[in-house]
Amino acid sequence: MERADVVVVGSGASGAAAAWALSRRPGLRVICLEQGERTDPAHYPATQIGWELRRQGDASFDPNIRQALGDYPIDNSDTPISLANFNGLGGGTILYSAHFPRFHPSDFRTRSLDGVGDDWPLTYHQLEPYFTQNEQMMGVAGLVGDPAYPEYQSLLPPVPLGPMGRKLAEGFNALGWHWWPSYAAINTRHHDGRAACANLGPCNTGCAQGAKGSVDVTYWPHALNQGVELRTGCSVQKLLMGDDGRVGGVRYVDADGGDHELAADFVVLAAGGAGTPRLLLNSASDRFPNGLANQSGLVGRNLMVHPLAYVEAVFDQDLRSSIGPHGCCLLSQNFYESDAARGFARGYTLHILRGAPPLETALGGFMTRRIPLGPGHHRAMAATFNRTAGIAVISEDLPDPANRIELDPDHRDRFGMPGVKVRYALGDNTKAMLAHGTEQARTVLEAAGGKVTLAFSPVRHSGWHVMGTTRMGDDPATSVVDRFGRAHGIDNLYVVDSSLFVTAGAVNPVATAQALTLYCCDHLAKRLGPSP
Amino acid sequence: MKDVFLDTILPGDEGLGLPSASAIAVVLVEWDQYAPVLDQLAIEAGGESFLALDAPSRLALVEKSRRKQARLANGVIVAALKAYYTHPQVLHALGAGAVPPFPDGNFLEDDDWSILEPVFERGPIWREVPA
Ligand SMILES: Cc1cc2nc3c(=O)[nH]c(=O)nc-3n(C[C@H](O)[C@H](O)[C@H](O)COP(=O)(O)OP(=O)(O)OC[C@H]3O[C@@H](n4cnc5c(N)ncnc54)[C@H](O)[C@@H]3O)c2cc1C
Ligand code: SF4
Repeated sequence: MERADVVVVGSGASGAAAAWALSRRPGLRVICLEQGERTDPAHYPATQIGWELRRQGDASFDPNIRQALGDYPIDNSDTPISLANFNGLGGGTILYSAHFPRFHPSDFRTRSLDGVGDDWPLTYHQLEPYFTQNEQMMGVAGLVGDPAYPEYQSLLPPVPLGPMGRKLAEGFNALGWHWWPSYAAINTRHHDGRAACANLGPCNTGCAQGAKGSVDVTYWPHALNQGVELRTGCSVQKLLMGDDGRVGGVRYVDADGGDHELAADFVVLAAGGAGTPRLLLNSASDRFPNGLANQSGLVGRNLMVHPLAYVEAVFDQDLRSSIGPHGCCLLSQNFYESDAARGFARGYTLHILRGAPPLETALGGFMTRRIPLGPGHHRAMAATFNRTAGIAVISEDLPDPANRIELDPDHRDRFGMPGVKVRYALGDNTKAMLAHGTEQARTVLEAAGGKVTLAFSPVRHSGWHVMGTTRMGDDPATSVVDRFGRAHGIDNLYVVDSSLFVTAGAVNPVATAQALTLYCCDHLAKRLGPSP
Repeated sequence: MKDVFLDTILPGDEGLGLPSASAIAVVLVEWDQYAPVLDQLAIEAGGESFLALDAPSRLALVEKSRRKQARLANGVIVAALKAYYTHPQVLHALGAGAVPPFPDGNFLEDDDWSILEPVFERGPIWREVPA
């Protein structure tokens, strides 16, 4: 049987960082298996005039719509928030907005500080060197000196605010609230052989410019140079357990349907917050009827997804708001840390989003009846397009074992492996937080001179951040993996993606997830051999 | 009839330099199912046909069709909007550029970060965590 020192499953945000980190050790054979295909930036939607149309097709973040070779079905019928992802080389980072703030120190201590969630088995300060290393690899722009964070060492220059961002900044200043230019994994100048951002806008359909830090252009070129063998179109179906209580390797199917077994000394799972528990559950056997690493029964549980509220305002002036990286402009963490007077624990980020492009503006206006058909259409459209600003309220989602991912034998992928069924409900704390955030978003939009035209929560198609489904911890009864991502009871099986999260924080996860990947891989690497 | 329908929902606007939807090649996949619905509603309302109505009545009828046959009517209208708002002539008139976003991109001017002074002056707001 073919053999590797390490098999990494998944090539997304965390799989790429893991493959890079582990291949820095000399003489190791590291193989990464990725079920999706490699995308070609030369054919990204932004290279076509009708780019917006592809957001409802092959560039959709909904796998049920996209139905690409690497996709598996996700049944969202029992959740108010449907999960989103991208299954291909680079994983979700191909479509992500690259909004890249770190978790805060308090996020790792929610039980001690606020009596909710659980404490992590590590601290912000332990992760700090890994945050920094990761930001250098990903090319992160921003401004040091943010009073909402401990000091950052250095960042690329921030993404431009544009006229809309400046308007909002004035609103925040008028209220005396915190705001700061976005932390963005976007090259604002030439960095690591990649071009600077050209403000194309459609970051969520892939960056044809190569400026956005998706891992196919950040970690992967380096990992491949270091000798990692990357196999796309290879779907891992099961982990193979040896009689010695260690995982012996994986069984996978290649793009042509060929079955393979690959032996490995270590298996590293980075298949995403849904893909990782799916694989562990699907690896059930007579010896492990509930799936692998699942003595606690927590594989797939404690799913957290950052429920969002969305508030939009329209302004009298043309603010060129659709120009620039859509999800990176500025953020406010005025309401991030707990304040008992607000009636809920923990807090949220106000994430300012640029205006919608033309077709999305027209369709949104049509569906919500804000832009009529007929003679009034063009005037209403002109009064909307490039004049809107949106605020997403990213709420901290507390872990609840009832929120979970299960295997769905009724819906299978092209190789017959079960898809996933999501069971999720909003907690009362989250509901109170979203209501509060919606009001504050309204207040600041109005302070900036906007007229609020839309406010709702939760946003259904916003399950982009999938966390907590194989949580880390010191106690095998209440966690799936230990403080280094190693499965309790299976010494050579690691999980290194956002499935590890103990709590969700209230910021986009990748900066923290990748720092955690590097931290876990540092531990694993020490077991693999001498330092480079 | 398709052109009349298109001009009813998306007429041109000379002042804004926007063409009417009928001036743009628009494929409406479900048009053959939708057209009879419009005529039927016109007859039910006491008219002869969709074409025989004046412009405001036609628009009112389209809105009525959205209530009576929501999936079909909205599907046809959305298809028209998709074709219209991805056409170079329309995008140019909107100021969104008549070429794909890549490779030209867009210019955004540099910022003056003194706008952050008030935020900075408030001092740290992150929560210290006991070791
Ligand atoms: C539209 C969108 C916008 C987003 N914006 C942001 C943002 O601004 N900031 C931020 O921090 N986060 C954002 N996210 C979330 C972010 O992309 C994800 O959190 C991140 O990609 C997760 O990384 P991961 O490595 O855990 O999983 P993924 O990146 O999803 O990668 C997992 C990979 O594993 C592969 N895989 C799964 N199962 C198997 C198997 N059995 N065999 C082989 N391969 C397998 C998948 O095909 C996939 O490529 C966004 C996501 C989306 C979809
Ligand atoms: S705005 Fe910048 S990062 Fe986003 S797609 Fe365009 S060039 Fe890439």
